[in-house]
Amino acid sequence: MRILLGLFLFPALLVAQQVPVKEHFLANGMKVLLVERHDAPSISGGWVARVGSVNERPGITGIAHLFEHMMFKGTPTLGTKDYKKDLKIMADQERVRDLMRAEERKMRAMWRRGEITDLFDPEQKTKRWRALNDEFKKLVDAHRKVIVKNEFDRIYTSNGGSKMNAYTTYDHTAYFITVPSNKLELFMWMESGRLLEPVFREFYAERDVVFEERRMRTESTPLGKFSESFNSLFWESHPYGWPIIGWPSDIPAISKADADEFYATFYVPENLTLVLVGDFKSKEALTMAQKYFGRLKRGKKTVPDVITMEMPQKAEKRFYAEAETNPNVDIYWHTPAFGHKDTYALSVMSKILTGNTGRLKKELVLKSKLATDTFAWTRGMHYAGQFNAGGEVADGKDPAAVEAAIHAVVEKLKTEPVPAKELQKVKNNFAASEYRRLTSNHPILMQIIHTEGTGDWRELNTSGAKLQAVTPADIQRVAKKYFTKENRAVAIYTRKPGTGGGDENPLLADLSGQAKAMARKFISSVNSEKDVASLKGRLQQIEEQLEKAGSKAPPIMKVIRAALRKRIGELEK
Amino acid sequence: MKKIVLSLTIALGFIVSAAEIPDRPEKLTFPKLKYEPPSGAEFRVQLKSGPVAFVVPNRELPLVSVSIRVRTGQYNEPKGKAGVAGMTGFLLGKGGTKTRTAEELEERLAFLAAGLSSSVGDTSGSVGVNTLSKDLDEGLVILREVLTAPRFQKSRFDLYKQKQLQGMKQRNDDSKNIERRELLRLAYGPKFFRNVIPTKASVESITVEDLRAFHQAWFHPDNFVVAVSGDFDRKTMVVKLEKLFAKWPFTGKAAVPVPTNKRFAKPGVYIVDKDVNQGRVDIMLPGIHRDHPDFYAVQVMNNILGGGGFTSRITNRVRSDEGLAYSAYSYMPGGTYYPLLFVAGYQSKSATVQYAAQIVLEEMRRITMEVVMDKEMVTAKSSYIQTFPETFETKGKVAATFADEEFTGRGARNPAHFKEFRAKFAAVTKADVQRVAKKYLTPDKVVILIVGNKDVILKGHPDHPVNLDSLAPGGLKDVPLRDPFTMQPLK
Repeated sequence: MRILLGLFLFPALLVAQQVPVKEHFLANGMKVLLVERHDAPSISGGWVARVGSVNERPGITGIAHLFEHMMFKGTPTLGTKDYKKDLKIMADQERVRDLMRAEERKMRAMWRRGEITDLFDPEQKTKRWRALNDEFKKLVDAHRKVIVKNEFDRIYTSNGGSKMNAYTTYDHTAYFITVPSNKLELFMWMESGRLLEPVFREFYAERDVVFEERRMRTESTPLGKFSESFNSLFWESHPYGWPIIGWPSDIPAISKADADEFYATFYVPENLTLVLVGDFKSKEALTMAQKYFGRLKRGKKTVPDVITMEMPQKAEKRFYAEAETNPNVDIYWHTPAFGHKDTYALSVMSKILTGNTGRLKKELVLKSKLATDTFAWTRGMHYAGQFNAGGEVADGKDPAAVEAAIHAVVEKLKTEPVPAKELQKVKNNFAASEYRRLTSNHPILMQIIHTEGTGDWRELNTSGAKLQAVTPADIQRVAKKYFTKENRAVAIYTRKPGTGGGDENPLLADLSGQAKAMARKFISSVNSEKDVASLKGRLQQIEEQLEKAGSKAPPIMKVIRAALRKRIGELEK
Repeated sequence: MKKIVLSLTIALGFIVSAAEIPDRPEKLTFPKLKYEPPSGAEFRVQLKSGPVAFVVPNRELPLVSVSIRVRTGQYNEPKGKAGVAGMTGFLLGKGGTKTRTAEELEERLAFLAAGLSSSVGDTSGSVGVNTLSKDLDEGLVILREVLTAPRFQKSRFDLYKQKQLQGMKQRNDDSKNIERRELLRLAYGPKFFRNVIPTKASVESITVEDLRAFHQAWFHPDNFVVAVSGDFDRKTMVVKLEKLFAKWPFTGKAAVPVPTNKRFAKPGVYIVDKDVNQGRVDIMLPGIHRDHPDFYAVQVMNNILGGGGFTSRITNRVRSDEGLAYSAYSYMPGGTYYPLLFVAGYQSKSATVQYAAQIVLEEMRRITMEVVMDKEMVTAKSSYIQTFPETFETKGKVAATFADEEFTGRGARNPAHFKEFRAKFAAVTKADVQRVAKKYLTPDKVVILIVGNKDVILKGHPDHPVNLDSLAPGGLKDVPLRDPFTMQPLK
């Protein structure tokens, strides 16, 4: 009885819980957002620049992210023992780098002609480049003598700073830290200092760091390189199509001059928002912000907008990849940008589909048992949005069946109104999350930064009512509009033959240790062979041998025959 | 006119502030910050029904969190049943109860926007509920049912098994997973309980009866420590908790100590061949227990060496100087039940894996030979002392932190732990740092694990030739990939 009562009393909850943000502007146009909270003696502070990889162009992709790394390298007084010498060495380095860039241009031409095969191979660089590189290394050694390593970080850490970090997205770049509440002025000094006059020391070593980051995140993970590629397939004309970390060709080509120009264009006060959450007094904080950040000068030109829009998709796009993964299905649909009126119904739909009691799990995991896991999410980015659903295929089931089942679940959103109770369940969770998001300073800061960086912090407080207002009819209308075949891209991942799963080939179990090793080698070579005719030739040979040997044939021959048949089958599919 | 006035103010403002803003941050002065940590005794309640609870009211938001830690873990798995602890933990909350199917339970929780979590890890179990305060009573009814009368519904049991078996196939896909697995094997030996991981055979052998046995043995109030925080009145909450744990339907077993029979591998360079373009490296040594008198000096030493992010030596040299890695670090946490490890690690392109290892080992040697700098001491100590208030940043953290002290027994052994925390760090000297560096960073015991493309890694970089034998005594040892279903070497 109680339980039933509870059910109907629920809408009492639907009083929106606001994030108590106070908005101010400095004289130079910089926005300041303050949230006073006095639970603990600390302040989580940060700032967001409304610039991300979307603002790049071919040739300098990755610069927004590289720039984020460079913002930790110091200022004229922080990070060096002798600023004059520091500047001189950096200027010398640029001169050598210009010559190296000219050489790199030649090497690209050589690569186009096939005279060199790998631009990254140190042994294939030209003599001249290597000589210049030696010269450059000497300048790096000289520079080390005047650099004070990571001083920016050291000052913060010795003053109790923690959680210092930064990140770059398609749309924005954010920098943040938590400091003891008596160190607010240090925060102001440090952050305004690096915005006022950042010095890009160790620029070229940092590019190598970014390359290692790319290897770590994208290249050496089972799906990294494929999701990068799929993302580029999904976005056709929009700059969202290149990876935030940048194309490998571009990262090493970015020059300090490119970074300087990028800074002058985008790191201007009218394009920045300062955010403080925690134990401070707003009036004091504002005076301090004006004193420190007030020093930043407005940009010379209006911050440019991104003009290129995504072309409406003309036909379904499909992507098939063999990877070191269990088979899975991943579907993207184009949806509108941050703040668009349809994004609320899309958010509600993503929650109807995902989670423990979501429709995808109920249909695909529990009922038809086609999948072992499913998911759905959506986001409106600054210029455009996406909706994503997918799942891991259950052993022995067909990815095509999983894909079809997802489409069927999505289709139902168009044809049948969502029952009231199901809709209420989703809305209850949106409402409760308005409280859960308010538990401590750092997460509050991160939400404000993210929302402000994507579009406007106000969305944090206005989206609640809009989500609660979504009706079953809205859902049907919006589902019909976006969930069309022409508007989607589908990725199907299957396991790369010869990886994972242990002895997937039951025949291997009968082999001795040595024969097993031989068989594995053979299977892997067969699986990388793409020439069907050659495989067929080998299959014929094996079959003849097997026939000759009869019952005396060593078991490895059957394994080889099976591997050849399987691979031929795959290639002819 | 308005415009002119505005720009004048800005110009004036600029001159004034520029005069006031010092050129170096050391010239700033800060108000004093006084901070005293809360005392656990203030929140501790010995419930008549068995458990100790930490009850921390917080009226700010209409939310309540009740979290129960359970004295059990992977170390209690019967032989041949690896996986039963994790499975019991998962299905307690996801397998329904006596009165509700898994589906009904999930549906109700979702409608209430309540969270129910349950798990069993290597040395503890945890079950908790997080509800809006208006739903607290219903949340507690559900929690009691989950704890006393779980259903372990067959369909969810089968699904979990299927996912486990399917998940095993991915064990060799990501070099990171291979690294984690082999690191633990080298660090503690294949027979240590943490390394007895589920296999196809062990998972297939587990029955619902096994789950029931595991659950009834360990999930009873004498094995619970409770952390509660949120929107309630303390007295009322204590009454509710007594009711939650009263008249338990089964008695179970007394908690048993966590085993400590670990064995550190013989020195050497252990390499797993995996075709990726970046090698993952861990340079390992035996570590310490958190109650050891060296603990504080060790933390400062490790922070200076590689634990302090950008202010530490390994990060500075491997990342900032040489650009050899995105992430280069060391860690040496204190173990709760047994000494853990020292690990210095990084990920670098195959060609520079050896060169970076040489640099890390150089830094490990240097900190044993040279006294560290004052500046480094200040930074390292501050990173513990000045950030200390964050330990109790939220009421939820207050409850969880004290519950953890109670659970691990340190609260009883050393009730002054938090009161003395900052003074203990402040007392560490440069000589202490060097002493513990010499004591723990012993080159003759070094074990290096590398996961990556063996041929390219061993070929090295033309500009930085490294003699692999110089890196660790014991030489190069191949570690095979393991059959993901049996964990037996694939050869």
